[in-house]
Amino acid sequence: MSGHECDDALTNLYLYLDREIEATTSEVIRAHLDDCSGCLRSFDFEARLKIVVRERLSEEVPREFLERLREAIAREASAPH
Amino acid sequence: MADQADFERDAMQYTRQLYSAAMRMTRNPSDAEDLVQETFLKAYRAYHTFEEGTNLKAWLYRILTNTYINKYRKESRRPSEVDLGAVEDLYLYRNIGSEESAEAARTTEERVLDGLVESDIKKAVEDLPENFRLPVLLADLEGFSYKEIAEILDIPIGTVMSRLHRGRKAMQKSLWEYAVNRGLVPEGAERP
Repeated sequence: MSGHECDDALTNLYLYLDREIEATTSEVIRAHLDDCSGCLRSFDFEARLKIVVRERLSEEVPREFLERLREAIAREASAPH
Repeated sequence: MADQADFERDAMQYTRQLYSAAMRMTRNPSDAEDLVQETFLKAYRAYHTFEEGTNLKAWLYRILTNTYINKYRKESRRPSEVDLGAVEDLYLYRNIGSEESAEAARTTEERVLDGLVESDIKKAVEDLPENFRLPVLLADLEGFSYKEIAEILDIPIGTVMSRLHRGRKAMQKSLWEYAVNRGLVPEGAERP
């Protein structure tokens, strides 16, 4: 991993993965990733890590709580205003 | 104006996401349930002020985070820092990649991504100071844009970006430690 193109790509890595980058810059990065296996690997790793983080942070809502929540909203709905 | 009759159909589809975020904010199920319930009740009462066609999910998250900040925040209002020392970008990846051959590194990458269990990831997020934890949750759990996060947390977009950057780095530092402790990286790997 070296060179200006690599530096630019890595600087923009998270902006790219977060889709917070202009289309033109995105194109430049994609073109670079086609040519540079080093950068491609690091982008790929971070993209997979992002998915792993999202998946493993997700919780099941306890069924009893979901029922209590529905009841609480129904009570609120029928309460006089 | 949104109709309260549509509330259950429209808003409650986000229960799982809000509950997942609430768990990482409060760090325990009972407070998370209270927080989510309070959020939905507030949202229900204010639903007539919600402008239909705008971002309902972001609106709910704004109520969730404000409720959390007002009610559960135990930390001081002054933003805390994370000690990142010499932690560089792509910390986890670079540490894995410091092995000799590309092939060995690739195997380790797989092992680390597969082997970091839910509790590792959750702890890495929960250990972040709150001013870093909330942007990380909103971006990485929910996929909100920087602009949406700025609006939800009422902070400038530049602040969102820097906290996200530092928060993710701090997380990677923790994840590397867990990977080492779980034996996911080869013996002799540098301890952080």
